[in-house]
Amino acid sequence: MAHERIVRIHSISKKLLVGLFASFLVVFLFFHMSANLLILLHDDGAAYTAFCHFMGTNPLVKVAEVALFGSFFIHIVLASYLWLCNRRKRPVGYHKRSRTRTAAASKLAMITGSLLLICLVFHFYDFYLVKMNVVEGLYMVKLEELNNSDINEDAIWTADEEGEYKEFTETGLRWFEITSKTNSDVWLNNLTKEDTEILQQVYRNINTEPDFYHMAHEKFTKWHIVLCYLLFFALVGIHIRHGFESLFQTFGLNNRRYAPVIKWCGIIYTWIICLGFSTVTLGVFFGL
Amino acid sequence: MNFTLHIWRQKNAAAKGKFETYKVHDISPDCSFLEMLDILNEQLIHDKIAHPVCFDNDCREGICGMCGLYINGRPHGNDDGVTTCQLHMRKFRDGDEIWIEPWRAKAFPVICDLVVDRSAFDKIIQAGGYISVTTGGVPDANCIPIPKDVADRAMDAAECIGCGACVAACKNASAMLFVGAKVAHLSLLPQGQPEARQRVKKMVMKMDELGFGSCTNILACEAECPKQIKRQNIARLNRQFIASLFDGNRRDDD
Ligand code: HEM
Ligand code: FES
Repeated sequence: MAHERIVRIHSISKKLLVGLFASFLVVFLFFHMSANLLILLHDDGAAYTAFCHFMGTNPLVKVAEVALFGSFFIHIVLASYLWLCNRRKRPVGYHKRSRTRTAAASKLAMITGSLLLICLVFHFYDFYLVKMNVVEGLYMVKLEELNNSDINEDAIWTADEEGEYKEFTETGLRWFEITSKTNSDVWLNNLTKEDTEILQQVYRNINTEPDFYHMAHEKFTKWHIVLCYLLFFALVGIHIRHGFESLFQTFGLNNRRYAPVIKWCGIIYTWIICLGFSTVTLGVFFGL
Repeated sequence: MNFTLHIWRQKNAAAKGKFETYKVHDISPDCSFLEMLDILNEQLIHDKIAHPVCFDNDCREGICGMCGLYINGRPHGNDDGVTTCQLHMRKFRDGDEIWIEPWRAKAFPVICDLVVDRSAFDKIIQAGGYISVTTGGVPDANCIPIPKDVADRAMDAAECIGCGACVAACKNASAMLFVGAKVAHLSLLPQGQPEARQRVKKMVMKMDELGFGSCTNILACEAECPKQIKRQNIARLNRQFIASLFDGNRRDDD
């Protein structure tokens, strides 16, 4: 019947969708890792900050971001749905635990996936929610913007108790310095939420952006956070160790000739991802 | 050799089953697993202890696919590339406890004790696992050239005896290895190619309908297949399924 045709989705099609959206995630993960490596450059965060600014302002990136979140969502929902359906296919289980030799990463895909979801929530809390203005973090603002914006003459500008804020009133140099905070030629950065609020009182219409470079430095100098992130990367690695090969199998791209190639690409990809992310985290921790 | 057997006993499909424990003594190490069960059954009948244990078997040489028991957590027991009838007691240690269970899957309901209804596999074959040919004069042996390599691969896939160990081993009770093997041996050969696209769709649809799970590439099936059917057959099934989605000629739609 016609209506049945439309709603009936073959088991393989569902799996193809899980894989399709996972393949976006696999590509994303590589870019995410590569971008993070910029943090390790000895340039006081200039390259990474420029990259974050691009990612934060480019409209195409916004579209990609929506696609990425969609992929995560669909991958997780469909994979969980498949898992739930599959559990019903064996109403009476075995008494003896399976002793079939299979790859643990494959058997545990749902568990590593669910743990990943928990890690992702914390990861979001650490970084992304700052961008969404839900959580407080560190911020930065372009000096050029300060120079070009009108000073709000009515703003009552007072130094705080420690006398940290100093106003630069010389004409032509209409930006102020916040002592003891880092400055680059382009950005006034490492600002707290309070700093940005004060700034916004003085300068009209300035856009502050999250300062992920300094946030990473703030987080990754605490050993327990570093440890949690290393576990997170290990989980990503285990999930991907199954996922990469599984992807090719699902799309029917596996045959006897390709199998070893796919396997090794999977192993290499997994190690690049795990080592890449870990290097950045440990690099910041040890101040490399 | 002496063994303690924990065997799943269930009167019929509707009954609630449970494990019963029996002991067997003086079993030869050269005894096959099914022969050991025969000895147990003779003992049960002779001593009037219980009804003999029901289990499926036919050829007892690993080609019919009737025998299939879940032994100590592995389909066809603790040996690779053999069916239950080819499993020998020398693979166990003297005094071992052996847990014997039927295949567990929604699509394979238990009929009695260790016997399950595997007609779901027949239904999948009926849905598309055939070729339609005009029977008539026998064609010349070499009138359809088939490369040796292709014939070999088709033959490897055709080794599948439909025992159901793949389903029994799979966490998801998926029949993808079985369907993959059947689709492969037909579609690799020229006679099977005209119906390849419809076949794969019909068989997959039937497989879903009968209550088999969907594959998550754990590959327990490959590890337990007594005929060592390879995972590449599942990849081929996926490939042909994707191709069938883009097939303009949807004769199977009505
Ligand atoms: C870092 C983000 C993630 C990436 C890159 C990723 C990637 C993948 C890949 C490539 C596969 C194999 C797909 C296939 O076999 O076709 C997969 C499978 C799976 N993923 Fe993820 N995944 C991610 C996050 C998650 C999360 C958060 C969950 C949470 C529930 C999850 C659950 C699963 C499950 C259950 C499977 C097995 C499904 C199957 O093999 O059919 N994944 N994942
Ligand atoms: S009885 Fe025929 S394969 Fe075991």
